[in-house]
Amino acid sequence: MPSPFSINGGACVAMVGKDCVAIACDLRLGLQALTVSNNFPKVFQYGDNVFLGLTGLATDVSTVSDLFRYKVNMYRLREERHIAPRTFANLVSSSLYERRFGPYFVSPVVAGLDPKTGAPFICGFDSIGCIDFAQDFIVSGTATDQLFGMCESLWEPGLGPDELFETISQALLNAVDRDALSGWGAHVYIIEKDKVTKRLLKGRQD
Amino acid sequence: MSRRYDSRTTIFSPDGRLYQVEYALEAISHAGTAIGILAKDGIVLAAERKVTSKLLEQDTSAEKLYILNDNMICAVAGMTADANILINYARQAAQRYLLTYNEDIPCEQLVRRLCDLKQGYTQHGGLRPFGVSFIYAGWDPQRQFQLYLSNPSGNYGGWKATSSGANHASAQSLLKQDYKEDCTLKEACGMAVKVLSKTMDSTKLSSEKIEFATVGQTKDGKIYHKLWSAEEITALLKEHDLAKDETTEERRARHDRREGK
Amino acid sequence: MPEVLLGITGKDFTLIAASKAAMRGATILKAADDKTRQLNKHTLMAFSGEAGDTVQFAEYIQANAQLYSMRNETDLSPSALAHFVRGELASSLRSRKPYNVNLLLGGVDPITHQPSLYWLDYLASLAPVPYAAHGYAQYYCLSLLDKHHQPDITLERGMELLTLCADELKRRLPIDFKGLIVKAVTKDGIKEMPFDNDKVVKGT
Repeated sequence: MPSPFSINGGACVAMVGKDCVAIACDLRLGLQALTVSNNFPKVFQYGDNVFLGLTGLATDVSTVSDLFRYKVNMYRLREERHIAPRTFANLVSSSLYERRFGPYFVSPVVAGLDPKTGAPFICGFDSIGCIDFAQDFIVSGTATDQLFGMCESLWEPGLGPDELFETISQALLNAVDRDALSGWGAHVYIIEKDKVTKRLLKGRQD
Repeated sequence: MSRRYDSRTTIFSPDGRLYQVEYALEAISHAGTAIGILAKDGIVLAAERKVTSKLLEQDTSAEKLYILNDNMICAVAGMTADANILINYARQAAQRYLLTYNEDIPCEQLVRRLCDLKQGYTQHGGLRPFGVSFIYAGWDPQRQFQLYLSNPSGNYGGWKATSSGANHASAQSLLKQDYKEDCTLKEACGMAVKVLSKTMDSTKLSSEKIEFATVGQTKDGKIYHKLWSAEEITALLKEHDLAKDETTEERRARHDRREGK
Repeated sequence: MPEVLLGITGKDFTLIAASKAAMRGATILKAADDKTRQLNKHTLMAFSGEAGDTVQFAEYIQANAQLYSMRNETDLSPSALAHFVRGELASSLRSRKPYNVNLLLGGVDPITHQPSLYWLDYLASLAPVPYAAHGYAQYYCLSLLDKHHQPDITLERGMELLTLCADELKRRLPIDFKGLIVKAVTKDGIKEMPFDNDKVVKGT
């Protein structure tokens, strides 16, 4: 029996640039070696510039993303403002830890810009909500090893939005090509102050 | 005599009335007027905000208009404290529906959920009914733009134009007079300020005394709702020649308040 | 796993096919089993998995869909039903005895008339797909459909593709699944389609 984290496959990466952040995911949904769908996005938007990437067991990706939509919508109505990435990260952390002894099998990644200062913010989590703050990049999913290699070699500090798009896209596409369980196209989000660009990468369909 | 039948909501009076429900309706008829008008391309809600004291902090958020979810808003007439409970209930119901079906709740269903709760307090418990009427404005794919009115008894109905609160009878007859089938949202906004100007105590309106909100559709078909800013309301009032002329002093005071001085 | 579920969408329809054999171990108990349930006027669900769980779960969903239609005088859309089923299956997954059911849910939206097909497994993974299969049929039919399926095909072409899949299954599956029951969902409702199950396919 395989690990619940690698039944369906999938990869996600977030990167910091100069006054911008990027988050990207692949589109595969599989059952072990069999691909079921090539249109299963794993990055979700929760406000103007707060994004959540979820890899792991597909059922929990859906459950957790829907649950946070509920929580964030209620937060926004109550507070009459959008949630900030750092606040959202703590919401993710505490929500996952609620299930400490029966966790959701997901590895979340949060990316966004601070609504006040515009400072880039990214972080990752384990499945029970321990936050991993990072200043450079965060990777998750079945292609983590490959993504770490790609990010270590391609990423550098102070990348502009266009350079960051190229860097994160190349890192993801080349990492998933060396992973049998992820790939089949990608979604890439470049988040700048007052502007979010979403691009669909076709990628290799094999 | 009346003492025997109005201490609890659950008891009918000998002539078949529920006094507590009628008292709740009475409480609402003292609250600021709220009106809603259905246009072919949107809905407008407008409400009178009763300014009790100039010492009161006027925070930026609306006190009579609330967002329920992505495609529904409502206006409140009655006790704000009671309304808060019901609005929180409605928001949770809407989000729970979104969680189960991955679709926004149809407008009438959300109205009915609230009315079922309201009805409960006219039948069991030793508790008083909610002293609130709501005017709901929303959109769903099945029935497009819709306007509803509900009251403390748990009754609700769909309307083309409706009103609630103080002077609602005269507001209603004004709406009946002025309402045109197939009017545009812009025309409906104009009608709304005209009706409010006639039903409110003061003849000249200002952005501090009324709240405004619209539900509409953008060119690419997306549904939006908007609570109007003070500037937008003032502009609308000017357009219809209903604005109170602000003295320089008043304008400075308003500016200072906004700056938080 | 030897149960066959197939689904194909086209321009204005969704086709659902299910094998007619009801099996227990190596024995075929029934050769005219219907592994589908109609949820409302324009949504059909096909199911496979553990005996007992399947019909129990499907009819629970069917009852809930019909209750909704009665209460609200409107039908749930295929998308809304798919997400409702996913929610029920997901909460079952973390219960003491989870349902072991795989599903295909096909329908036509009552307002937009857009056809849709949803693939769900017992883990409550949900994916909207243009064509889908469950069980061993996945390994034979998905590659065939990858090659031959187009999004704008007609109902006749859809039936041809199903025949193509059925022939391949007869050729390669080691057991007899007793043919397919085929149902088509269009904006006018659900109807059973005539399907030639007597055709003999020679091995390679």
